[in-house]
Amino acid sequence: MTGGDDLTGGYRGAGPVPGDVDLDRVWLGVAAQVWRRQPGPAERAATRLLRSPGLARALVTTPSLLLGWVIATVVILLTGVGVTLGTGTPWVALLAPGVAAAGIAYAYGPGIDPAWELSQSMAVSDRMVLLVRALAVFGLNAALGLAASAASGAAAAVTFGWLVPMTAVCALALAAATVTRSPNVGVAAGSAGWVIAILAGQAAEGRFTAAITDSLFVLPYLAFAAGCAAVVLFATRIPRGTP
Amino acid sequence: MNVELTGLTRKFGRTQAVAGVTLEAGPGVFGLLGPNGAGKTSLLRMMATVLPPTSGTLRLLGRDPGGYGPRREIRRRLGYLPQTLGYYPGFTVYDFVEYFALLKDMPPGQVPRAVATAIEQVGLGDKARVKLRTLSGGMLRRAGIAQAIVNRPELLLLDEPTAGLDPEQRVAFRALLREFGQRATVVVSTHLVEDVAAACSEVSLMDSGRLVFHGTPGELIARGEGHGVGDAPLERGYSAVLAAARS
Amino acid sequence: MDDDALIAAVARRDDTALRELFSRHAPWLAARLRGVLPAAEVEDVLQETFLAVWRGAGGYRPQGSAGGWLWGIARRQAALWLRRRGPAELLLPALLAADGRHPGDPAEAALSRAELARALSALGPEDSPARETWRLMYVEDKSVAEVAALMGVPAGTVKSRAHRARRLMRAALRHREPVQEGGGR
Repeated sequence: MTGGDDLTGGYRGAGPVPGDVDLDRVWLGVAAQVWRRQPGPAERAATRLLRSPGLARALVTTPSLLLGWVIATVVILLTGVGVTLGTGTPWVALLAPGVAAAGIAYAYGPGIDPAWELSQSMAVSDRMVLLVRALAVFGLNAALGLAASAASGAAAAVTFGWLVPMTAVCALALAAATVTRSPNVGVAAGSAGWVIAILAGQAAEGRFTAAITDSLFVLPYLAFAAGCAAVVLFATRIPRGTP
Repeated sequence: MNVELTGLTRKFGRTQAVAGVTLEAGPGVFGLLGPNGAGKTSLLRMMATVLPPTSGTLRLLGRDPGGYGPRREIRRRLGYLPQTLGYYPGFTVYDFVEYFALLKDMPPGQVPRAVATAIEQVGLGDKARVKLRTLSGGMLRRAGIAQAIVNRPELLLLDEPTAGLDPEQRVAFRALLREFGQRATVVVSTHLVEDVAAACSEVSLMDSGRLVFHGTPGELIARGEGHGVGDAPLERGYSAVLAAARS
Repeated sequence: MDDDALIAAVARRDDTALRELFSRHAPWLAARLRGVLPAAEVEDVLQETFLAVWRGAGGYRPQGSAGGWLWGIARRQAALWLRRRGPAELLLPALLAADGRHPGDPAEAALSRAELARALSALGPEDSPARETWRLMYVEDKSVAEVAALMGVPAGTVKSRAHRARRLMRAALRHREPVQEGGGR
């Protein structure tokens, strides 16, 4: 072997690969470091909280938690704030449950997840993913909605009052999406259900906001939500195949 | 024994997709042949714990997949490639394989090397950080194979894995199957008879939900002697067995 | 793509360029490293070399001497590895001879033969398996497979004996004060 600086000519003649050196193994060691993905702070926090890296990764890749979706939600709620300040009707409280329902319906399921069947064969069960995603979307929408509602100066009863109907509407959307395996049906069911509730409240008590503020509805809402949750549990318990 | 099926059936409404299959498999590569609608996909889905059987018993990797805990243990050691696999367009090949490695509860420290290994094994080493939406059908299929093998599974189930692969890639793929078959049970469901001939140590043939043949490729060829339909010995065996089963 | 263009691509975080660089240059780098390091360590050093290439490609000034640049990195990684493993391994003079330069670095200075002889006795008597393994692997520079065949034991046994021998040598040599600071050969 020649020394010094002139290696351009000499190095190709260094001889064949030594038989006891596994270059493929070496490359895999290099590739593992070069290709690896570093989780962001949200994912690292979720991993610690959920004690499962797989579940954390599934959470941060939720379609309706992606930046675009969140921005759209914020825009809708801000519009609601603007309109509320202008007209006095608490539009935020009326909009928020519908927006949340859409978010929930688009969190998980066969219509949304292209690798749906594969996901059903995973050690981290799809039911856990569904639960975690739904809770996260609900929580995020609740927080945004509360902020928007407070910003629009609505009364406390209205500001917090819509959390209960929101729970019911989200549960309805999730149940519909899970049973029909279509997030669009979930959104439609959630929105329709909510509109019906508002109109029914208006018809019964003459105010659009009756559906939100009348405490008579709290128990029915919660019971309804529980029923929908049971439906979701049932629909996700038995993995149904398609022939 | 990694797979033990006894009288396994599956019904959808009034359709009997799988009508009583009894099968045992240890390490090796097993081909599952049959026409469309024979029940191969339903059988594979049951072995992948995605579909519960209507009746019969199923033991996978020595465990009963009916219980939550054992099912989770099975799934950690399972690799599955469904017949149709969608992909997340914004993901790269690495993201895709890593996602399922994590969902299979692989220890995070092992994941980067395991993902790199799987990607190189399917020949996608120069596409590791390329977005899935830019890949061809054959490459997407190979990415699907990569996620199935990333956790070095003891039970590997592949439903029509060579769809979209060119002949050279199929040769490489069969070599991969043989390597895995040394330690694991590999079940390949296919309607391409030549896939089976090259890689499988045992072959099962299904028709209308039933197992109409189980044996070595050589035995299947023997059944085809004197039979007219088919261009290759294995094809003749295949059609001979089907004809006999249907008469 | 020529080597300069490949390295420029690596500097732009193109991993396929690194892969191409690896397939072109890893074989001869491995051969050259094998001349100075035992087989098992060549793989680790080569891995560290290409990771260093990935991190440091931005510092390469294209002058058509990609091979020299790569060998420079490999040599530095080998020296780092040797330093980490302890003075016993530094006695392989071939690394110093590989490019004819004097190291000037105390960590690479060789210990005197007398020190070595005294440390070797810590491994056991002349014919013990540990001494024999040491001699075959690190003085005669045989591969693990060759040593296993010569000694009639499995490769795993050879590796664990080599590991133990290194440990004993390291412990024995550390009891001596560092002898020549700045001394060369």
